Amino acid sequence: MIWKGTGRVSDESSGGEQGDQAHTLHDTSGDRFRANHPSDKFSGASGVLFERAMAQTRMAICLTDPKQDDNPIVYANRAFRALTGYEEDEIIGRNCRFLQGPQTDEEPLQQLRNAIAEEDVVVVELLNYRKDGTSFWNALHLGPIYDDKGELVYFFGSQWDVSNVRAARSEERHARAMARELSHRMKNMFSVISGIVNITGRVHGVEKEAREINQRIQALGRAYETTLDEASSGSIELGPAIKAMLQPFEEDHRLEYDGNGLAVSFAAISTIGLILQELADNAVQHGAWSNDEGKVILAWRKAEGGKGVELCWTERGGAQIEPAQISPGAGSQIIERLVRTCGGSIERTWSGEGLHAVVTLDV
Amino acid sequence: MCEARTILLVEDEPLILMDLEFAAEDAGLTCLPAPNLAEALRYVESHGERLDVAVLDVSLTGNDNCLPIARELEARGIPYVIHSGDLDRKNELIRSLDAPRIAKPSSSDRVVELALSLLESGESANPSAAIPGQ
Repeated sequence: MIWKGTGRVSDESSGGEQGDQAHTLHDTSGDRFRANHPSDKFSGASGVLFERAMAQTRMAICLTDPKQDDNPIVYANRAFRALTGYEEDEIIGRNCRFLQGPQTDEEPLQQLRNAIAEEDVVVVELLNYRKDGTSFWNALHLGPIYDDKGELVYFFGSQWDVSNVRAARSEERHARAMARELSHRMKNMFSVISGIVNITGRVHGVEKEAREINQRIQALGRAYETTLDEASSGSIELGPAIKAMLQPFEEDHRLEYDGNGLAVSFAAISTIGLILQELADNAVQHGAWSNDEGKVILAWRKAEGGKGVELCWTERGGAQIEPAQISPGAGSQIIERLVRTCGGSIERTWSGEGLHAVVTLDV
Repeated sequence: MCEARTILLVEDEPLILMDLEFAAEDAGLTCLPAPNLAEALRYVESHGERLDVAVLDVSLTGNDNCLPIARELEARGIPYVIHSGDLDRKNELIRSLDAPRIAKPSSSDRVVELALSLLESGESANPSAAIPGQ
């Protein structure tokens, strides 16, 4: 037997259970267990500690006797009684199945039966019922206990109410499923909008314009794609969003990023997306991406002063452009208006290698 | 001399389907537009011989998905492209399909381009298609 020798818990003199303060010291179920099982004794200091631990733990524990008919419970600690709502005399002598109810699944029960038959250890989660009829999710740990001679004497069961854990798990699963569904629908919606633009463009014979509009719509759609997991926080990480938006320009490794884990507000993404799209279009038409060698380095960081974000668009190896030759196009007007609207600024300078633009946004 | 190539477009959103159709026609393809799984399966049944390539949306109306049609195409050695808004979510179903994927929203021209590239790189672009159906 695992509790060998003799001894008893000294301060367990009075019977019955009392108030919350004292109850753990007055759990006399150990006494009664010993009275009925004289060969199973607790010994010495470690026995005292062990019995105290059994009595005081918040883990519900019971022992069953497989040698008796129908494997009845022969010991149940206080936590077991608190968890189930039954008194000791309603527990002792009964098989554990009295905790089952109409919604208890068959599968964990079969696992339990198998473990008992095989004298194996098993952990299952099953729905159990208290004396008052309410149910709880029970994480039940069951295993055999052997005596010195290696003979099976008891089964040990520990019960833990995991209802909260399960509720949290299912809530989390639900939230994740919702986010995924939303993301899917949103991307589909962007696709539909894009289809409408294409079809309308075709009807009116303005396919080229429609394609340009679509580039912007699709860039925006890709940016939001990265945001859903963090959407609840109201801010999104800039790096993945930028990468998603500029993904069509990443071919040939002619776009380098130099950023960090900066997060910006959700609303800033559409502005940043449009600005980057304009800069990228410009690079394709006149700048570093208009030849075979040029590249673009895009850096972002928190703006000086701590508020807002600063984007640096630097072209290398682009065509030589004289500032005097540059006439402000519709694209750059859009950028300037956008930047102004959100209280930012844009500075453009041209080196021999192409455009260097610093955009500061108060977002 | 040679007949126009035929593309099966499976997409339950009519506007996206129409957009794909236009893009495919622009590329000189003959289109079989299927707004649901049943229609798509019927097309494969009736036009399987002439079908060159397909574009498949993953989730389809009526809780259907493109898996049955993907398996039919594989059995016939017809390559296909997966066109879905669900790609980044590591969908088990999509991962189990051995085909190139393109995320929504993408330009319909690019979707058709990708489908055409499967034809140009030979029918073996989809390795599982190399095993002919019984």
